[in-house]
Amino acid sequence: MGPTSKPFEIFCGTGGVGKTTLATSRALFLAASGKRVLLITIDPARRLKDLLGLKEDAVGEVRQVEIDGVRLSALLMSPEKTIERMAASGNTPDLASNRIVQILSKPYGGMNEILSLVEVQMQFESGNYDTIVLDTPPGAHFLDFLEGIGKIRSFFDKSFVEIFAHIGEKSGKAGKRLFGLGIINKFVSAGVKKLLSYLQNVTGAKFIEDFVEAVQIIYQSKDSFLKGISLQEKLGEKSLCNWFLVTSVEQGRAQEAVELKGHASHYIHEDHYLLLNKCLENIVKDWSPVKTNLIDVKTTLEEKESGLKKKLKESFTNILEFPEVVSLSPAEHLHILTEKWKTYAS
Amino acid sequence: MGKTTLSKSFVRLLVSQGHEAVYLTFKTQSMSDNQTFGSDISKNGLREIALDLEECARGYIEKRISSRLIASWIVKTAFFRALVNMVPGFSYMIYLGKILEMGKENSQLVVVLDAPASGHALTMVESTSNFQQIFESGVVFDDTVKMLGKLNDPAYTKIHVVSLPSMMSWQEATELKSGLNQRTPVSVDIVINNYLYPLLEHDLDEIPPQLKEKALNEKRLIDENVTDVQCILPHSLKNSPEGIEADLVGSLSNLI
Repeated sequence: MGPTSKPFEIFCGTGGVGKTTLATSRALFLAASGKRVLLITIDPARRLKDLLGLKEDAVGEVRQVEIDGVRLSALLMSPEKTIERMAASGNTPDLASNRIVQILSKPYGGMNEILSLVEVQMQFESGNYDTIVLDTPPGAHFLDFLEGIGKIRSFFDKSFVEIFAHIGEKSGKAGKRLFGLGIINKFVSAGVKKLLSYLQNVTGAKFIEDFVEAVQIIYQSKDSFLKGISLQEKLGEKSLCNWFLVTSVEQGRAQEAVELKGHASHYIHEDHYLLLNKCLENIVKDWSPVKTNLIDVKTTLEEKESGLKKKLKESFTNILEFPEVVSLSPAEHLHILTEKWKTYAS
Repeated sequence: MGKTTLSKSFVRLLVSQGHEAVYLTFKTQSMSDNQTFGSDISKNGLREIALDLEECARGYIEKRISSRLIASWIVKTAFFRALVNMVPGFSYMIYLGKILEMGKENSQLVVVLDAPASGHALTMVESTSNFQQIFESGVVFDDTVKMLGKLNDPAYTKIHVVSLPSMMSWQEATELKSGLNQRTPVSVDIVINNYLYPLLEHDLDEIPPQLKEKALNEKRLIDENVTDVQCILPHSLKNSPEGIEADLVGSLSNLI
């Protein structure tokens, strides 16, 4: 029995296993069955752009695409565009114009995962989609995405109180604006002052001043960030989220898939799927080579695949297999994999 | 696509040629309360180092303020952890600083870094210049200038992008190479791994049609892009990671 569609469908796995292609084929399958689908890639590699034939100017904007007569929406994550949307929706224009925020929200500035949480939540709240299919970054960076929830929570918790307490005591300026002096004074501590004075020795005083200003501006948009946290509960709900861990025969590493599952166990509910991609079994099973070298090739390919499946079955209950697609055409890849999803639905 | 296995095999090759080499990887980017310190172990003749973010950050701050105690306290504060966690590029800068320090302490050491995948590799390479822009002046700014000088020195740093011999993997590899070329003047080459064609080229009419198509597609890809490929590594018929590593060692000499 294959997976039924849910509001969130998340694809994760190590690099090079075909995660993006499988996520896209799933989105196409769901769209073909009448769902309003948004496909989001938060993988900075942006292979989705190639698969969907999108140009560079599409990055960061929801675009309508049509493949084989099937229409769906697609979004290539852009931290910069997400910041702009947050600034517009929260009426906080300083967020998009702050120097430090601009540097950190460059495509490779490092805030992709955290801002992705905000973006996904914003798109979900739009009500425009039945399902959001998420193509996440490879390997450990997928965990960064999941852990982004905790990072946002901690950032808008103790550290903010600490730093604003310090500012409040120092000048009263920023503190007055956001909290009022009474609350600020309550949190003033000698330890924070000491910490910032030590940090100033390393980073220079100007950085501390600039960073505090950036933090103050980010804080004005805290509601948008904190909404991202609410995703955590939704993703952990069986009725709201399908989790797909992807690995491939080519990679041949059961251990990595098992470890990824273990690391993400706080977030992934037990009703998840392991997608084994690039299976060669159907290609070589009826092959009866005579030459020794070819027998070696066949034996090795079969043993690698059967050994991998055996190990995966020890850790995963629901395993869906997808074939190796030898075509050079991305469209052909998508077509074959989308057809495979249909067999799991029937 | 075999980045980790290739990195380890490369270290083995370097060691076999008399170089002092180490396999290095990062631990998680996040700083949490139960995180253990980094490890430096030798396994089957291979020295493997897993850097730990908190330990690297503490070491850097300690050098700057000359106090291990205070440096330990700073990296454990909620503010510092939240800063590093919220701005992941910061951690890359800390890691790269540590690697350069290792090179400074031992100029003979070759560090083979099993770097983050695809776009995250660009984030890593870009982190130093981003933070140089952010800091503008001060001790950290001066250090980032030094780091960029080393990282962008072709005599000091070299980057290998690993790709499979499939069209989509190749496209991603060339996109990554282009992105790296925009960010650093050091040499960036592409290594093709898991090339099946050589095992089948004399028997193409005796193999299943789809396998033949796969092999021929690989061959076409290589032929069309041969000038952009530094090294081609054949598919290994070994089943164990150790066996595959041993096979790769013999094929990697082009990288030196």
